[in-house]
Amino acid sequence: MSKGVLVDITKCIGCGSCNVACKMWNNLQYNQTAPEKGSGLDAENWTVINRVETEKNNEPVWRFVKYQCLHCEEPACASACFSKAIKKTKDGPVVYDVDLCVGCRYCMLACPFNVPKYEWDKTFPRVRKCQMCAGRVYTGDSPACVSVCPAGALTYGDRNSLLAIAREKINSDSIYVKQIYGEKEAGGTSWLYISDIPFETLGFRTNITTTPLPHYTESILSLTPAVGLGWGALLTGMYVYNRRRNEIANEKEKPDKE
Amino acid sequence: MDDHVKEDEQQLNKQVTRRSFLKLMGGLGLAGITMSLAGCSNSSTVEQAGGDGWLPQQYQGRGTWPAQVRGRVPIDPDNPSITRDDQKCILCGQCMEVCDNIQTVAGHYGLPLANDVICVNCGQCTLWCPTAAITERDDIQNVLQFIQDPDKHVVVQTAPATRVALGEEFGLPPGTWVVGQQVAALKRLGFNAVFDTNFTADLTIMEEATELIKRITGEINKPLPQFTSCSPGWVKFCEYFYPDLLPHMSSCKSPQQMLGALAKTYYAKSKNIKPENIISVSIMPCTAKKYEMQRPEMISSAHYWNKKGLQDVDVVLTTRELARMIKQQNIDLSKLPEENYDSMLGEGTGAAIIFGATGGVMEAAVRSAYYFITKQQPPANLLNLTPVRGLEGVKEAAVDVPGVGAVKVAVCHGLSNARQVLDAVRQGNAPWHFVEFMSCPGGCISGGGQPRSAVPPSDEIRMARINSLYQADARAVRRESHENAEVLALYQDFLQHPMSELAEELLHTKYTDRGKKIKEITV
Repeated sequence: MSKGVLVDITKCIGCGSCNVACKMWNNLQYNQTAPEKGSGLDAENWTVINRVETEKNNEPVWRFVKYQCLHCEEPACASACFSKAIKKTKDGPVVYDVDLCVGCRYCMLACPFNVPKYEWDKTFPRVRKCQMCAGRVYTGDSPACVSVCPAGALTYGDRNSLLAIAREKINSDSIYVKQIYGEKEAGGTSWLYISDIPFETLGFRTNITTTPLPHYTESILSLTPAVGLGWGALLTGMYVYNRRRNEIANEKEKPDKE
Repeated sequence: MDDHVKEDEQQLNKQVTRRSFLKLMGGLGLAGITMSLAGCSNSSTVEQAGGDGWLPQQYQGRGTWPAQVRGRVPIDPDNPSITRDDQKCILCGQCMEVCDNIQTVAGHYGLPLANDVICVNCGQCTLWCPTAAITERDDIQNVLQFIQDPDKHVVVQTAPATRVALGEEFGLPPGTWVVGQQVAALKRLGFNAVFDTNFTADLTIMEEATELIKRITGEINKPLPQFTSCSPGWVKFCEYFYPDLLPHMSSCKSPQQMLGALAKTYYAKSKNIKPENIISVSIMPCTAKKYEMQRPEMISSAHYWNKKGLQDVDVVLTTRELARMIKQQNIDLSKLPEENYDSMLGEGTGAAIIFGATGGVMEAAVRSAYYFITKQQPPANLLNLTPVRGLEGVKEAAVDVPGVGAVKVAVCHGLSNARQVLDAVRQGNAPWHFVEFMSCPGGCISGGGQPRSAVPPSDEIRMARINSLYQADARAVRRESHENAEVLALYQDFLQHPMSELAEELLHTKYTDRGKKIKEITV
């Protein structure tokens, strides 16, 4: 069964434990100059908690929004990667293998959520992003960030049961927006979000297709074998035809010379 | 058959020549290099995906099982009192433990959040954090700048509790009495005048006991019991969680804010110094004082002089910051001579000294209230009010005052204990006239700005500091706030009498209902 994490944005208290757990478990560098209030993902920052200051019922409210790789069900990055350095495991995590990476950065262009980051300052750069603690998930443990959350904002489990929990929550409590972000976005993601503030206000990309991105290229690229074989057959045919024509022409010339 | 095999063998032996062997090995090598370059040797990406680091044991192999101590408290980057270095945080959960179970703040409000990171600024987490990832916000540079500015007249006040803890930073046993050395160190650091918060502790008693008597006699229409208001962490806690009980809160400012207001009015006037040239610094055992100082209503001197930009207290340093400042100047506190506080705002009685211990404010108030009602000196047992001393969470006492009857008081310290008293008041089961609240367990002597002599703080160290305060009270010549000669002079020359119009303007304050920032926990 494919695993996932459900983020309940209404439950987050903004303590940043998840961010520290990610740094500790993955041995990532701390950036002293980055503002604590929220910053973008980068090569050493696989998850961020952004403070969104907005309004609800004309009252000012703050929401803390955890952001990281959403681990698409059908990841565009993996589809774009011709060296198979990015793969979707059967547990759910979309993982990166530095040994296979050629550094082309197609994954970074392909990602609809702008997640994979590059070590621009390194001689032999790697692509870096949340791995959903694939090693922990593989042994039945939850990702590091989930295990440290004191507020109960993060729930780990089978994606299908998380969807059921999320649906039950948003249907039984009127404060929630009636949407589960990640259920259909980009064809569905392993990470799911529910919130009481519309997702576009919280900085989520909402104008995103529900078709899995690899499907767009698949419709054309599935013709590759046919085109390849057909082109070969056509050229072979032309070659055989030309050769035969030359042979005939040569044979016709011979008697004239003799 | 045999012949055939023999022939094959011979043929094979013939074929493995030196040249063909090298060709074979070269081919294998090329194939190997190609395969490893293509990544065929690494099949299991799952196990090497992250996870080079570590996490504390409680987060290992737990899956989604519950952990008793998990995560950490939220801290707003703009918090005026405390700050956290993520790089030192190991997610041990100790801050959450003290905030949730002892101070009952984190985890005791409903979600989703309003526009606030709920914090009462008490700083107990700075005492519990094993790696000192959470610390007080360091304001030493501000003070140094002011001291170096020749135009500024920098005055400093020291809280009752710092004099029994500062020595610990210099190797002295917990509770060592270093009041004189502390004054000497401050003078060597370049402060122009060194005042004692004990002076305004006595003044607080004058105002607060007067207010209590007025509440009891019905002269002012405010409910009983009256709550003490000198612990800014407690005040903010009440504003958040029990805003309906704010009318019970004494309108008196804390001693720190009273002294700040007087330094820029009474002192400035008498010494003929422009109030805008006075910088008022305070040395506190408390991180919440850094928050209290910048509350928008704490600008009485600005109102008094009708000048914008004046703030009653400009910088608050914790005991730990003062210790660092002294060490940076290479001064050994333990070798300094004892010096005295400067006059005008420098005298304090035994009643003020014990403000630093839980029960002390109550005991001091009872001594003076007895005098105000009966016009007689309190009996000996009121100078040693043992029921309100010690580290029990909620303490009660009844004091017989001739003409009034039994005056019932309660004392609590640590905010989980405060909840017991507050819930009783809410339900109408409160027999008391006066209740002392201290945010930190043990009172100010174990405040969030005190030396980290035990991590987390221990009752042994708390008791050592408390005993030191009571011993100093016992040997004091004057042990009642109304005997403080400088306080009496202040009333005579400036304020006229307790709760006069000017006293109300400078020494009293209003509170903010923060109930909207908190949601009741529904589940």
